[in-house]
Amino acid sequence: MMLANYCVSIFLIVLGLYAVANKHNMIKIVLGMGIVDYGVNLLIVSIGFGPGGTAPLFVISELMKGAYFVDPVPQALTLTSIVIGACVDAMALSLVIKIYRKYHTIDSTEVRRLNG
Amino acid sequence: MFNGLYIHFPVLAVMVLFLGAFLVVIFGTHAKNLRRVIAITAATISFALIYALIKPVMLDGEVISYWMGNWEPISGYALGIGYEIDGLNLFFALLVEATILLSGLYSLRYMERDDYLDRYYTLYLMLSGAVLGLVLTGDLFNMFVMIEIMTFAAVALTAFRNWTAGALEASFKYLVVGSAGSSFVLAGTILIYAQCHTLNMAQISSMLCGSQGLTPTTLLAFGLLFTGYGVKSYIVPFHPTAADAYTAAPTSVSMLFSGMVNKAGVYAMIRMAYVIFQAMGIPAVQTLLVLIGTVTMFVGVTMALAQHDFKRLLAFHSISQIGYVITAIGLGTALGLTSGLFHAMNHTLFKGLLFLCAGAVLYSTGTTSLDKLGGLSKKMPKTTILFLIGAFSISGLPPFNGFASKWMIYQSTYAKAMETNNIGFAFVTIVALVVSVMTLASFIKVTQSVFFGQVTPAAANAKEVPFAMRLPMWIMAIACVLGGVFYDKVLVWLLNPAASAALNVTNYIDKMMGDGYAATAGVQNIEAHGATLSFWNPVMWLILFVVVFFAVGLVVVFGKGTRGKVLEESEGQEIEAKYDSFFGGEKALPSHLGGSDLFWGFKHNWKGYFHFMQRMHSGVVNDYALWAVVGGAFVILYTFVFLR
Amino acid sequence: MEILIALVRILIYPGLLFVAVGGLLLAGIDRILVAKMQRRVGPPLVQPFYDFFKLMGKETIIPHHANRTAYLAAPVIAVVSLAVTMLFIPLGGFSAVSGTADLIVVLYLLTIPAVCVIVGGSASGSPYAGVGISREMVAMMSYELPLVMVLLAVAKKVGSLSLQAIVAYQFQNGCMLFHWSMIPAAIALLLVIPGEAGVQPFDLAEAETEICEGTLAEYSGAPLGMFELNHAMKIFVLTALFTALFLGGIDTGIVPLNVVITFVICGVLVWLCCSLPHAICARLRIERLFKFYWTIVAGLAALSLVLAWFGL
Repeated sequence: MMLANYCVSIFLIVLGLYAVANKHNMIKIVLGMGIVDYGVNLLIVSIGFGPGGTAPLFVISELMKGAYFVDPVPQALTLTSIVIGACVDAMALSLVIKIYRKYHTIDSTEVRRLNG
Repeated sequence: MFNGLYIHFPVLAVMVLFLGAFLVVIFGTHAKNLRRVIAITAATISFALIYALIKPVMLDGEVISYWMGNWEPISGYALGIGYEIDGLNLFFALLVEATILLSGLYSLRYMERDDYLDRYYTLYLMLSGAVLGLVLTGDLFNMFVMIEIMTFAAVALTAFRNWTAGALEASFKYLVVGSAGSSFVLAGTILIYAQCHTLNMAQISSMLCGSQGLTPTTLLAFGLLFTGYGVKSYIVPFHPTAADAYTAAPTSVSMLFSGMVNKAGVYAMIRMAYVIFQAMGIPAVQTLLVLIGTVTMFVGVTMALAQHDFKRLLAFHSISQIGYVITAIGLGTALGLTSGLFHAMNHTLFKGLLFLCAGAVLYSTGTTSLDKLGGLSKKMPKTTILFLIGAFSISGLPPFNGFASKWMIYQSTYAKAMETNNIGFAFVTIVALVVSVMTLASFIKVTQSVFFGQVTPAAANAKEVPFAMRLPMWIMAIACVLGGVFYDKVLVWLLNPAASAALNVTNYIDKMMGDGYAATAGVQNIEAHGATLSFWNPVMWLILFVVVFFAVGLVVVFGKGTRGKVLEESEGQEIEAKYDSFFGGEKALPSHLGGSDLFWGFKHNWKGYFHFMQRMHSGVVNDYALWAVVGGAFVILYTFVFLR
Repeated sequence: MEILIALVRILIYPGLLFVAVGGLLLAGIDRILVAKMQRRVGPPLVQPFYDFFKLMGKETIIPHHANRTAYLAAPVIAVVSLAVTMLFIPLGGFSAVSGTADLIVVLYLLTIPAVCVIVGGSASGSPYAGVGISREMVAMMSYELPLVMVLLAVAKKVGSLSLQAIVAYQFQNGCMLFHWSMIPAAIALLLVIPGEAGVQPFDLAEAETEICEGTLAEYSGAPLGMFELNHAMKIFVLTALFTALFLGGIDTGIVPLNVVITFVICGVLVWLCCSLPHAICARLRIERLFKFYWTIVAGLAALSLVLAWFGL
């Protein structure tokens, strides 16, 4: 089951990078960046998960030796990463809007004034 | 005076900058002077806090460990986020702080004609705080967060003058490639977490030592982290976005980029390769770093030779100089690491100076095109002298600081070549020396086409920039000269502590996790072998200076008086024919060789290469992303093939 | 006292005065030899001294396009840096200053005079100088690659980047020129010397007939004299460097005699690398010059480097 998670996360990362490298529509590039983020987030959560573990939510009296729960740290990391990913998307989209206003296109092959 | 208090300084230095950023937003929206005061005060306090650490850390050799919220490790496992400051950290923090303060001083006047300056200062402080935090932290995930803040602030600052051509597209390219790099860093970080179940760098370092460090998971993590931090330090093939961003950003921000943002990437690579993975003893890793570094310095300088724009040329030189640094640290010897750090420091100084000169030209003429400018030395004599100091430093002419560090780099590469009897390293030395000449050539090009020659229409109304802008330039110029003459002092005070801190891994782990922790984990220090340095005689150089100043003074004095007086051009007054330039009878026109084509004799022989590079740097964001992905794939493949 | 000795070294021997007199003498020898080869009578041996002192007494005209400081400072710095270069080159077995990697220091110090010519020409604001500095810089890029390779080949052979160590090695194992693997490197350096000194087939930067002395078009009086001196000194320094690298093993036991022998060798080298090509060659085009240095000369130097690498 975890193997499927890892495969899917790698697939998502590769898919996202493919979109970034090959799609000329800037919105699609931003989507590709988002997909890479989701792939990495899936990877993080999968790493923290152990089969049969419960959610890491306890009050002090409940927590006993031998209680088995999934690693809480990756979940915290994922939250941070999701927030950052959302910011990246928002920023990228706002730049795309600005670029559209200035260049009147969102085709990345036509936005190349700085070259050489 | 601050007995023991100084362990709080690093975290305070970071917090002051972020606090300043928020205060500027709250109070600085309408108060024009208040936001300046807040920004400069925050930068100054942070500067003072970090420079106060020179004595305990650099001179007394202490390592400061600081656990946020006092969450100390429990039974050998790090729980909280920790800051750990050893010589290496502090060395880069010093560079970062100097850049922050000087750039801040410069932007007071330089940015005064722009709108929305509260946002500028907020982003400036955010960028500064993020880079400082990245350099000081001892926690891998905290490093990732800081990288992301750094990328955001950098992207926003690149787009700050969004009415200029290319600012928006440059920031979009930067964001796309940069976030791909960040994703690599995050994936690498999390793979290391999967292996070690901790994020503290000292603890990871103790767990990855020896053969344990070479499981497939950590190999993949190494490749990913290498790629990610490589994107942040703009080595080839991740460099084109950097060139665009440096060109489009306001010049004070370009200085921040070349002075500290790419140094942060270099720091992360050193920390990763030397401390976390302790991989610098492995020849394959050395080869990888040296190979990438050599390619970087060559591609950077040849692209710079083909540029038509002052700032874009400087941007490619930034890339090229980082190539020198990566090559030197990739040698894995103490001498190599020392010279790499020295060059990183010098690069911060002279490249900051050159960027500020470009900014001064932009400020007074409104353009940075090499084909339009000319004759500025008559209008801006002080900037010309500053530029020449910076240009000679970066070209490595003695006695400036660039020479001292390049000299050490050649020495270390050739020592490595003779030690391993590997002709590849000799080739690296030759490339480094030739690249240095090409660097000189492209700065001669700038000198000729911007500062000397006839005054062109674009430069006709230029005026010398105000003193507030020249002050940071003078500080850096003086540092360039002093660093070259008294480089033995720099070596003893700053470089040796930094290099030995990077090589002394056990100390790094023990100070963070408790004494004896490294020994139980079986960590050993990297063997610091290699040639030792000896100095040339500084007395000779001091005398030489006296002689030079004496001689120049003599010539200038004799040049005065009746002989050789300079006639100022004034309206309606004919200049006496003998003071005019010789034109051979034709109408007086500026030189037919435009600024960008000065070295056609060279480019003619290399036209295939130049056309190819021109085509590769297409300006399309997809191509650059593809470069980054292919580069990352290459590094990961290399890791798996050669490090198994 | 230490400072006084250093001052004597910089100003008199083997620094400024010695290099200046030696260089001007070599320039005189060169002019006589060229004249003889062209069946002319030629000037007296001390003609360069006359030229120099005459120029020093002439009026210095600073064109109004020029940047005064750079225009005046460039020739002085060029001369001083050549005088300092000589301190690092062992004359008759001993150099005034020695360090670990002074080969690279010499390499860089030798670039300074060329940079001074370029900056000075650039600062004069003449369009002819613009063409001249373009050529000078490309020429510099051309000869720098083979020069670097020659120096590294010798360094590999000896196992040290120190000139003093190179000379000491030759005292023990015979002159470098008699090791057959170093002969290509020696030929390469002989070809580099005229390029670096800017004599006839390679004097594109100062081509009188095309671009009116190029970089020096606007110079006059004392600064021009300094540049002429600089040119003469450069020939001396370069030939002395060749002697130290490839013929450093000649030892009579008496240091002054060694120095005299070195000077005689320098004279022979001047005939070989300056007078002979000057008399028989026509000027090259700049892109040809670049190609020549990066293929033939660099190839020779690389051959020596590879041979040295395999311990031959």
